[in-house]
Amino acid sequence: MNTPAATTTVPKGIVLNIQHFSTHDGPGMRTTVFLKGCTLRCKWCSNPESINPKPELGYNLNKCIGKDQCGFCLKECPESAIFNVDSDTKVRINWDLCTNCGKCVPVCPPQSLYLFGQEMTVDQVLDEVEQDSSFYRESGGGLSLSGGECQLQADFAAALLAGAHQRGINTAIETAFNVPWSHVEKVLPHVDVVLHDHKVTLSERHKKWTGVDNKRILENMKRAYETWPDKTFIARTPLIPGVNDDEEHIRAVLAFIKPYKNVVDYELLPYMRFGESKYGFLGKVYEMQDFNPPSPELLARLRVIIAEAFGRSPGRKSS
Amino acid sequence: MTAQMKRIAINVGGGYVAGLNAVITGVVLAANELGWEVVGIRDGFDGLLAPERYPDGGLLKLTAQMVQNLSAGGGAILGDATRTDPFRVRQVNAENMVEEVDRSSDLIAKTAAEQIDAVISVVGPQALSILFRLHRQGLRTVGVPTSVENDVAATQLSFGFNSALSFAVDMLERVRQAAQSAQKIGVVEVLGEHAGWLALQAGIAVCADAVLIPEIPYDLQHVAAKLREKLKAGRASGLVIVAEGALPQDGRQTVGEAAAPDSLKALLSPRATGEGGSHVIERSGHAAQTVALQLQRLTDQATYPLVLGPLVKGGPPTAVDRQLGLAYGAGAVRALNEDKSGVMVAFQPPDLKFVPLAEAINKVRTVPDNSVFVQIARSLGISLGEGEVKS
Repeated sequence: MNTPAATTTVPKGIVLNIQHFSTHDGPGMRTTVFLKGCTLRCKWCSNPESINPKPELGYNLNKCIGKDQCGFCLKECPESAIFNVDSDTKVRINWDLCTNCGKCVPVCPPQSLYLFGQEMTVDQVLDEVEQDSSFYRESGGGLSLSGGECQLQADFAAALLAGAHQRGINTAIETAFNVPWSHVEKVLPHVDVVLHDHKVTLSERHKKWTGVDNKRILENMKRAYETWPDKTFIARTPLIPGVNDDEEHIRAVLAFIKPYKNVVDYELLPYMRFGESKYGFLGKVYEMQDFNPPSPELLARLRVIIAEAFGRSPGRKSS
Repeated sequence: MTAQMKRIAINVGGGYVAGLNAVITGVVLAANELGWEVVGIRDGFDGLLAPERYPDGGLLKLTAQMVQNLSAGGGAILGDATRTDPFRVRQVNAENMVEEVDRSSDLIAKTAAEQIDAVISVVGPQALSILFRLHRQGLRTVGVPTSVENDVAATQLSFGFNSALSFAVDMLERVRQAAQSAQKIGVVEVLGEHAGWLALQAGIAVCADAVLIPEIPYDLQHVAAKLREKLKAGRASGLVIVAEGALPQDGRQTVGEAAAPDSLKALLSPRATGEGGSHVIERSGHAAQTVALQLQRLTDQATYPLVLGPLVKGGPPTAVDRQLGLAYGAGAVRALNEDKSGVMVAFQPPDLKFVPLAEAINKVRTVPDNSVFVQIARSLGISLGEGEVKS
């Protein structure tokens, strides 16, 4: 196996998950590596376990077999953050006392306690990614980095992407571009396809729903489009009911990307509740639980606008 | 031993309950008697940690004159923070990136800088743990427990419960009338994830046909049998109260599609789904829907689910809560005056006691099987979803 020496010297990164055979994170069949840590706090986030940059405890109450048969975690926790309620033998987590030390994880036989995120080296990740290389060749796929914000761990991300290129693997990233330009400069040279989010157009509204305004994000996008005219950029919008599911936003994004021929497509990702259960595993509250996914009619209408802007007949391209 | 206090602070965190101003009034009046100054911290600890957000300052000086005419209505003049967590304060850093940072040391320093000798926190069960950590870190503090579910350990009565109970009873009475008129079985879900006090006590007050609580796993066959008996006697309506955390004897709540495995979801987040791919957090109303659907099948009588949920938290406090709030406020001041810190004021009839915070956290006050309320329910013929029990 080709293991470039350069990749062994770079720092380790915190990897949330390596997902094989992914079809939504770039062209072809891909292996998506989720890096931990995010710089936004979108209220609709479907990967809440990716937000914290450090490894973080998750607990699936359903899998707990109860203190009568097990209960090792109760003794193991140094912070007394695991406890019982009288009405149930299953343990509960006091999330306010938990420090994510992870000592309870190895003593939990049913794996109801686990850590989201583990430290990995570049080679560990790439060796696993390379196992799928025959699928990439067949389908035109490759490695995708996602998150969290994969550009947050810029050195690690750059090393992964450069290493993948050295192994002949196509690369893509999913990013929101809310990072300093110095991160972008490190990461993007090693990326073939840049999937990037245009979440909310109005800056104040962007701040309200994601935690920060979008000034730097838009600057980064423009600068990236101009700096790398030969790279493929695909704009995306996670379509959130009552936040950005309107023509105004879609048309504003189309106007923004229009001057750049390297932005080859604009995709809509309808909001879904995939992440909801994970909030419970992390002791967090899901604020979007009363929202329903956008209707097929609305989605179709907005997609027609996009198809027209790209000069193709509606329905021909799945966006 | 008497503590040397000059200036104390009060704040509210961990969700709203009715009539929080009563506690604030109790603190201010009792402190005034001792010649102490009282300031209120706005929105949990935000008034100290982010004073720039408040044009009039993050601290509000509270005088006896001011609280004398304080509205006893809902809400609190100091605002609230749903989670008063100085250990995980969300902020935007110099790089314009959002992050959560531990500002507990900063908070304690700011408290000292404002010459605040101690903090009285009016908090729910979760925030008690945060208070416990702050105390361990050196903050002089006393907690006042609030909970509409009355599930805080080490106290018989949390502030806010009685008001929630009264309002729940009021609403349930209306549901019963509607159910009678429509000749249906009303299934009403009330708060109570682990503890069934609200469901049980409200259910007794309105003489419900059945009350299902987390502490007693239910078998709806028993409830249906009870309802069928009533239907046969010509009374074609019913009222069933379900605590949101009530579970059947055979395990989890299931409602149609929620129980169906969702392979796509499991694929996207392989570790994030329950057994069979089902959701793990049950949405509000899930318990009522489950029970209503199954009871309709079992009784052949139309049912309808309703959710009271957080509606019961608002509104004016009852006489009991007004007295309790004033007593808890004054009690917290007495605790500080007796040089106590890291304690919670607890009502253990007939006394107000000061229990260490460590005894109040990591526990949930649930309904014991020998509870007098369980016995009352059984004697009144209210089904608890269990088999024949001789009380």
